[in-house]
Order: sequence, then C-alpha cells, then structure tokens
Amino acid sequence: MPSLRRHLPQYLMIAPFVVLFVAFFLYPIVSGFYYSFHDWNGVDAPRFIGLANYEKLLGSRDFGRAMGNLATYISITVPLGILVAFGLALLVDSFTGRWASFFRNAYFVPVVLPAFLAATIWRWIYAPNFGLLNMILGWFGIPSINFLNDTDSMIYALIAVDVWVSAGFNMVIFLAGLKNIPGELYEAARLDGANKWQQIVHITVPMLGPVMFFVITYSIISAMQVFDKPWLLTGSSFAEYGGRRGALLFPVMDMMGRAFGEVHFGEAAAYGFLLTVAIILLTLASFAVRKWRRS
Amino acid sequence: MTAPSRPRLTVWTVLKWALAILVAIIAVFPVWWMINVVFSLPGEPVSINPRLWPTSIAAGIEKIQMIFAETGYLRAYGVSLLYAALTIFGVLLIGSLAAFEFALFEFRGKRVLFAVIMLSLMVPTAVTIIPTYLLTSSLGWLNTMQGLVVPGLASAFGLFMLVQFMGAIPRDMIEAARLDGASHFQIYWHVALPLCRNALVTLAILTFMQTWGNYMWPLIVATRPEMYTVGQVVGLFNAPLSHQTVDVVMTANLLAAIPPLLFFLIFQRKIVEGIAMSGTKG
Repeated sequence: MPSLRRHLPQYLMIAPFVVLFVAFFLYPIVSGFYYSFHDWNGVDAPRFIGLANYEKLLGSRDFGRAMGNLATYISITVPLGILVAFGLALLVDSFTGRWASFFRNAYFVPVVLPAFLAATIWRWIYAPNFGLLNMILGWFGIPSINFLNDTDSMIYALIAVDVWVSAGFNMVIFLAGLKNIPGELYEAARLDGANKWQQIVHITVPMLGPVMFFVITYSIISAMQVFDKPWLLTGSSFAEYGGRRGALLFPVMDMMGRAFGEVHFGEAAAYGFLLTVAIILLTLASFAVRKWRRS
Repeated sequence: MTAPSRPRLTVWTVLKWALAILVAIIAVFPVWWMINVVFSLPGEPVSINPRLWPTSIAAGIEKIQMIFAETGYLRAYGVSLLYAALTIFGVLLIGSLAAFEFALFEFRGKRVLFAVIMLSLMVPTAVTIIPTYLLTSSLGWLNTMQGLVVPGLASAFGLFMLVQFMGAIPRDMIEAARLDGASHFQIYWHVALPLCRNALVTLAILTFMQTWGNYMWPLIVATRPEMYTVGQVVGLFNAPLSHQTVDVVMTANLLAAIPPLLFFLIFQRKIVEGIAMSGTKG
C-alpha cells in the first residue's frame, strides 16, 4: 500500500500510544464482555453460563441496596455540589487581584489532597466523643453522634466530604467560564435596571451553558463510580465493606468485593457493564435534555 | 476629589467578606487540624489542648521519625514516587509522540482512530478495571512496577490536551524545519516539543496529582507489602483494627499530603489553568 509507506513515520510515532490503548483499553472491554457471560474464579477455565451473572446481579439484595444508595447519593450530591461550586465561583469572582486568587487557592486545597486522604481525615473529624465535629457540637450541649455508624446519617456524612472536595474543582471550571462572559452584557443589563440577582439568572447562567453542561455530566459520571471515599470512610476491606447494614455500599464497591472478595470475576465484569449502561443512559439523557432546551 | 473613590463599606460587602472567610476556614481547617494533631504532645486531653494550633514541634518531628523508622512508610514513599515519575515520563512521551501526528499531519485512519480515543474518555473506569486487572495478572505483572505503571500510560485526556496545543503550532515552522533538512523525528523533538513546554508541564503536574492520589488500582495490583503505595499504607493506618493512636494516623496522613501540597504551592497557576482547560474546552 503506497499510503501506508508514505505515512510510515506517522504510524511509527503513534504506534506506542495505539498499542497501549488497544491492549489496556479496547481489549479489556472486549474480554470483560466475554467474561460477563462466564463463571470464572481466575484460576480454572471459564465456564459459559449465558446471562446467569446478569440475572443473579439484578436479583441480588446488595445490588439493589447499592443502586438505592447511589440514587439517593447522586440526587443530593450532584445538585448540592454544583450549587456550592457555582456560589463559590461567583464569590471569588466578586473579589479582584490578590484576594481573588487567595480565596480561590484556599477553596482549592481540598482538591489538591490525594482523594484517599480526604476520607481518612474526615473519618477522624466524624469520630464519636473526641472527634472535632462532636467536640464542637458538645459546646452547644448536643450529645455525641456516631456519624459513620448511624445508618441515618452515614450517607449525609459522605455527601459532606464529597462536596468539600468537589466544590473547589468545579469552582475553578466555573471561574474559567465566567472569565469568558463579555463585561458589556452586564453593563447593558445594569443600564436596563437589572439587579445582581437578575443578572445572574439572565446572563451568567445562560452564558455558562456549555461549562454548566460539562460540570453536570462529569459530576454525574464520577458520582456513579464513587469508591475511595465510602470505602475508606467505612474502613472497608475486601472481607467486609459498605459499613453498617450496607448503608454506604455503592456499586463499584460491590463490584470490587465480588471480584476480589468472593473471586467471581465474571459477575464483577457483568456488574461493570450494567453500570456502564446506566452511565451511558444518564449521559444520553442529559444530552437530550440539553438539545430539547435549546430548541 | 483627587483620590480614587474607595468602594463603600456596605452591609453587602461585610457579609461577602464574612462568607468568603468562613468558607476558607471550612476548606482549609481539616488540613490545619491534621498538622496540629501531629505537632502536639501525644495524650494531651482535648479539653486542655483542643489542637487548634501546633504546640510541640519536637513531638511532631519525633512522630515522623518513628513512622519512617518503624513502619514501611519510607519504602511506600519510594514506590509512590517512582510510580508517579515513570507514569509522568511515559504519559508525556507517548502522548506527545501521538499528539504530534494527530495535530499536524494527515494519514489514513486518523479521524476514526482519534474519535475512538476521545470516545474512551466517556467510558467509566468501572467497566475496564477488572478485565485490566485480569490482563495484568496474566502477564505476570502483579506486584511489579510495570503492572502499576504501564496500563495507565495511554492517557486519552493527555492526548486530547497535547493535541490542542500542538494544533496551534504554525505549519510554516514545520515546513521551514523540513527544508533545513530536519528528519520527522527531529522536527518533533526540536520544534514541536519545545513549543508546547507549557502544556507538558501542566500535564505532568496533573498526572502527578492523579497518580499520587490513585487508590483503587494499587489496591488490587500491588498487594504485597513491599509494593504498597502511600495510599495503601495510609489506608492500613486508618483501618479499624490498626490500633494506632490518632496522632500517629494523622502523621501518616500528613506525610501523604506534603508532596501534592508542595506542588500546589509552587505550581498553583498551572494546576488551576489545567483543570479549567479540561472543563471549558472539553
């Protein structure tokens, strides 16, 4: 093929990336799909069992609990996290010069910490009796709460950590979006007598459209795969995970437990596909909503 | 009135400052508290010393020395640093080689290939992590450095970012270099790479942050204590049955936080710009 020879330098230069991409991205997807129809413990030969893995998962109690927790978690943490991040971006944007970057950097500190660390620090802040939070509540005469062992409060304790971390990340993206809004728009609105609130609703939010869309989609996708934080907040291991009565059991935790605790790799692979289908459906739904709102 | 008019001190301004400072305290306080727990005498009751400021620098240094001397922490530090350094080197080299071609040249199959790679940004890690583990395991790479590093090298995000930057290189410069007799690789090395140095630095920093904070992949691939990363060691210190006192655990946590916090102090503008770019151009 002449074109192949002519472009040989091109193919040689992209080869390392493409080979690794095929080996460690495309091949795993295909092999995962294959395993999802097999019963496999990683040692013996995989045994074809059709849709049994999927059936077992959809009927399992842990799967239902993990999905239920996930629904509650996403419906609170995504809107709350975005609202807080947007508020922080407006707040930082209202300062200028040194103070703007000071506050921006301060709000960004939780993002800089390794993800696993946020959970481990907060586990101690939440600790009963001597933990920082209970100490502060104690000053007001409120008795100690075991935030991470009380099934009513556990998910909110997780959401608080989550917002604490994600707010700074999304804020920075919003701030970049705010910089791209021409100042004349606000000037014109002010001349028309619009107050601050009206300017936010009628100029800032619509002009942030694409950025807002990215933040929402990205937040949903990463929230659906939440792992480190609930895993570490509950002090989980592959032998025992999810916290008291599975109140902090999430799909990826459940999947990892089935793979590395129970050694059911086929079932875990099927889990990954079910989760991916859910994520793709949600992503498509958000694209559809965007298109519908535009027309 | 010759002096520039100063902003008036309204109720609104006061509230704004109060809110900004309060949020700053909430954002930074857990980290500050962690430092104070480390740098105070162990066993002092909270009622006497609420750990709101550091009280004993010597006690903190002693705890750090104790952790380095008596646990596998130093080794984990080495593993994590090597893991991060090799990942950064690989992602930058492999990504920039491919980005150079995707951004500046035409070849058969380019569009489809690039579209597939960009589509992979949307595929959740959840679906690939277990088959990737099984592949790594069948290669005999469990508990090895290549097992940690190699599966993460083809970074679609890195490629995307570098293509954006390389695309801005004027074609005239490439042509001029070619007329001067430079080979294809020499153009990449002497023209394209220096021109996107900023993007490479930003990508290196983001990759460092991500690799240092990666918990899930080392947890399953590096299961032997001699291959533990900092994240795993910190996890062990925090495990319910670790029988460690809070000040020792916080020392372990603080040591894990120091490299990324230092990076942030030095490179804050690049980090923030890198993240902003991923959101506004993505």
